[in-house]
Amino acid sequence: MGSNVEQAVGNSSDSFSGPDKDFGKQYYATQLGSYDEMYADEEKTRPYWADFFSSIERLGVEELERRRHEIQRLLRENGVTYNVYGNEQSQARAWRLDPIPLLISHEEWPLIESGLQQRAILLDLILQDLYGEQHLLKKGLLPVDLIFGHQGFLLPCVGTIPSLSSCKHRQLTVYSANLARGPNGRMWVVDDLAQAPSGFGYVLENRTVMTRAMPDIFRETQVRRLSGFFKAFRQALNHLAPNNKDNPRVVILTPGPLNETYFEHAYLSSHFGYTLVQGDDLTVRDGKVWLKSLDGLQPVDVILRRVDDSFCDPLELLIYSRLGVAGLLEAVRRNNVAVANPLGSSILENPGLLAFLPRLAKYFLNEDLILPSVATWWCGQAIERDFVLSNLSRMVVKPINSRNKQAIFAANLSTTELDLLKAQIKAKPYQYVAQELISFSTVPAFVDQHIEPRNAVLRNFVVSDGMGYCVMPGGLTRVAKAKDEKTVSNQAGGVSKDTWILTVKPEKPVTVWTQLERNGVVDAVNEPLTSRAADNLFWLGRNIERIDLAARLMRTVLAKLHETQEFKDDIDAAGLTILLQSLTQVTGTYPGFATGRADLFKSPEAELLSMVKNSQKPGTLPSNIRSFYQAAFSIRDLWSLEIWRYIDNIHRRWFLKVVNGEVTINQLPKHIEELMTNIVAFTGLTTESMRHESGWLMLDSGRRLERSLSLIALLRALLKPDLSDILHHQILEALLVCTDSLGIYQRRYRSMIQLPRVLELLLQDPSHPRSLVYQLQQLSEHIAALPRDRIGTQLSMEERLILKIHTEAKLLVVEQWVEYGKSGLPFELDQLLVNIDSSLKQISEVIARAYFSHSLVPQLIKDTAVEDEY
Amino acid sequence: MKYRITHNTVYDYSQPVGLCQNEAKLSPRDFWRQRCLSSQLNITPNAMDYQERLDYFGNRVAYFAVQQAHTRLVVSAVNEVLVLPAADQQNVGSKVSWEQVQNILTGANLSSSTGNGYYDLLEAKQFMIDSPMIAVSAQLADYASLSFSPRRPLKEVVTDLMQRIHHDFTYDPAFTTVATPLSEVLAHRRGVCQDFAHLAIGCLRAYGIPARYISGYIETTPEPGVPRLVGADASHAWFAVYLPDAGWLDFDPTNNSLPYDQHITVAWGRDYSDVTPLKGIAFGGGQHTLSVSVDVLRLE
Repeated sequence: MGSNVEQAVGNSSDSFSGPDKDFGKQYYATQLGSYDEMYADEEKTRPYWADFFSSIERLGVEELERRRHEIQRLLRENGVTYNVYGNEQSQARAWRLDPIPLLISHEEWPLIESGLQQRAILLDLILQDLYGEQHLLKKGLLPVDLIFGHQGFLLPCVGTIPSLSSCKHRQLTVYSANLARGPNGRMWVVDDLAQAPSGFGYVLENRTVMTRAMPDIFRETQVRRLSGFFKAFRQALNHLAPNNKDNPRVVILTPGPLNETYFEHAYLSSHFGYTLVQGDDLTVRDGKVWLKSLDGLQPVDVILRRVDDSFCDPLELLIYSRLGVAGLLEAVRRNNVAVANPLGSSILENPGLLAFLPRLAKYFLNEDLILPSVATWWCGQAIERDFVLSNLSRMVVKPINSRNKQAIFAANLSTTELDLLKAQIKAKPYQYVAQELISFSTVPAFVDQHIEPRNAVLRNFVVSDGMGYCVMPGGLTRVAKAKDEKTVSNQAGGVSKDTWILTVKPEKPVTVWTQLERNGVVDAVNEPLTSRAADNLFWLGRNIERIDLAARLMRTVLAKLHETQEFKDDIDAAGLTILLQSLTQVTGTYPGFATGRADLFKSPEAELLSMVKNSQKPGTLPSNIRSFYQAAFSIRDLWSLEIWRYIDNIHRRWFLKVVNGEVTINQLPKHIEELMTNIVAFTGLTTESMRHESGWLMLDSGRRLERSLSLIALLRALLKPDLSDILHHQILEALLVCTDSLGIYQRRYRSMIQLPRVLELLLQDPSHPRSLVYQLQQLSEHIAALPRDRIGTQLSMEERLILKIHTEAKLLVVEQWVEYGKSGLPFELDQLLVNIDSSLKQISEVIARAYFSHSLVPQLIKDTAVEDEY
Repeated sequence: MKYRITHNTVYDYSQPVGLCQNEAKLSPRDFWRQRCLSSQLNITPNAMDYQERLDYFGNRVAYFAVQQAHTRLVVSAVNEVLVLPAADQQNVGSKVSWEQVQNILTGANLSSSTGNGYYDLLEAKQFMIDSPMIAVSAQLADYASLSFSPRRPLKEVVTDLMQRIHHDFTYDPAFTTVATPLSEVLAHRRGVCQDFAHLAIGCLRAYGIPARYISGYIETTPEPGVPRLVGADASHAWFAVYLPDAGWLDFDPTNNSLPYDQHITVAWGRDYSDVTPLKGIAFGGGQHTLSVSVDVLRLE
């Protein structure tokens, strides 16, 4: 381990010193005894770092700080997030990126590249052997208990991974390794990620942001491009398709929006144009995998999974998993679908394998490992176990089955804890490995306006390329959060860096899109909308209208409250009472003002604040805003960056300013205005920039349906009988304001506000975008456009329902029931509205049943032994 | 001895199931002392997708999917099996002590064995370590210790362990479910055949002895004068232990017996999770009820 004594490496013979540049190299303090990326030895900076730092120092500290801000702003705008587990308040944490990249010289890179290629080939061979012939076990090259004792060795998968000779391509499609530099300057492999490596989406985003925020530095430094890797990646997935299918359908299987790297899943899905799916978006029929889309079942050929393999198939693997697809492994077994990486590949993440890799490299390749692993002892062998036990304090101990790869630093344990650990190792030695504790290199990081050394880990990415492997010339570098911290993790709040592989000749950028498919023709592929996405869009539409109505009504209430307090007029107070009651009724936030308690109407502030701040109570603004945001986030891949910004604004700013901020009643109108502006921007953008196909139809159907329900609720809540003329007039005016119809009314009727005319306008005007008939008209068009298998000429249930209420609303003659000068809704009209309301809710249910088929809940059925049946 | 075993499973649902995928391990495997003469798996409604294979341990597996809406699923397995008497265990001259077995399997000199013996040992090692439902613990080792007296032949150790389990534990179907952990079975000294098999296996593995789980059926002979009740039987479970000089020997702790010719083996694995007779994932269905009946009929 490096000592904690820090040393300022000043007075070196280089030429960067000077008063304006005092944040840079010469104040860069490194740690004694450990290796730092910048230094060839204690005195001398590596030449490529020197060049880089002279550019950085020309910028000056203020400019660098400005660029750091710019980077964070761009990341924020692009919605780059990282989910932190166990943190419900702010699920998504902004991704952080250091303006100083990690540099790797063009002399060193080929060694890393070939080392990773060799390792990927080796791991691929091990994978094929363990799930195939098992020569490694039979010849004693790998111990049986090392493999069988690891939860990643999935017995049902044996026989499902074809051998190299039979399929002519590598089975391990994506591979990733965490590298760190040891004290002697050599790169070591810390661990292998072989089942669903994450991070290369973040690499792409890091690079995009770096080239925008640091264009000058990027230009001056000759950096290898990443696009070739992404092209190879697309090709690798396409080539996996069973039976050499052209234009195969590739989907990305995500555990869902709560997963820590969900952003990346959505990002890659948009980048490659692959549909993002969750387990319940897929189904297995006839031994094949299908995507449940709005247009029916679509065949799936390749699954890029981000779900751990044991969770992928509840039938044959982990039975309680809700993230997988029942029957998936059977479909793989019949070669009807390819999964990358293959189910079962998490065995390669068994840390005990590290101890055997040198031997296996000799066996398979007759080569030495180009990149050594950190020295590792598997305790399942007596000699190694005894060695570990007697040198425990110098070791990092890892249980081979820990899900979160927890590492135990024996040096930090108390005597009791150490004894306990020893006892655990002795009891099940085959479940433990120990690794040498070494001090990894530090890299310069820009922290608090100066540059200081941090421990770093570099994650590299490799993708199969026929019989070989293509290594990304770059990677994800992550540095520890605090100075002396040895573990680097995003969960703990580390910072990322772009990784620049230097080159001597500039590279031409390759676009991912230039490549032709096998037959040389690129088809226009319409990615189907999953029924889960349709469901989310529908509810998103409903929620945005709920938010909109609540915001408008709240705004009207606040204006009335202000008036009442200023003029102390009894009529105003009576009007306020009606408005407050309707607010509770329309939003469903009972008991609220519905209790009729006089004191509440006198000082309604507390209840009003709770309606805008309390996110736990259903029906409140923040609760609806959160539902809206969650629905939007679950289909993150479908939004353009621009739309996403408004979605993010609607949610983030309300929670920041109102829910978690200090806000008074008087400041509320300002925030409500801002919210409404964002809503208008969101709905405008979706209408203007989304293609008006199934996805948009769902979104807009949700909006139209909810807007109809809102209007009915508002009319029924506000139109009370037996009001005085003045009060009646006030309420009608409030109604027109809430529905954004006052101006239209005044232009159209140029007269007193009268109930029959108000109702005519709000219920029946086919050209008024807030009227009931307008909503029903839109809704019937949308419903007619939804895909369906029609049996004969019969109308579907939802078509019948909408036709009926649309006609009823059109046929209504308002003046037949409503008299001039009288307030309140006549009984017949009220009944009509109640019927329309219940038909609309029925339509919502029918649509859900017909189109959101994932809503069928899976259950485990198991033949428990008879004797257990009690 | 020849048997016909009828094993019926019926699921009734309160709402339609649109799709279900299932895996059945209901067809008895062949091995040296047993032959499955005929095997039928009848599924109602008809399974549109049906495929058979052998699993990792050589057990017979049927994958099937019912892809039309249904509110009742009936899976009926009818198998005719010829069971040859096990070698009379009294005559199995296994004298090897448990320490010797432990040494052979944990020692580094596994490779000094040659040929088939070597592969048998390798295979046996898979049954020596923790499996999904059996994790070795100090409590298990502690319970087992009484049987593991120094230099005692392993066969005697296991026989003693089986007797102790039979004596110390109450057969109580009301106490456990499939998911009851072994620690609770041990603490309350109650359980069913599956628990007793798991318990014995855990005890043996705690001492580095390979043991595997067997699912199957047992012929129940009614009391004299009482007619045999069709369908009253149940699926059964016991365990086997590996003796390097004699192979795998079966022990039935529930009945304190050495299976001879009334135990019909269906499948074996590391524990129950490897040999679950029937499991599935159904989509929809609401509430479900399950009824199972097993009938073991001796044919000759």
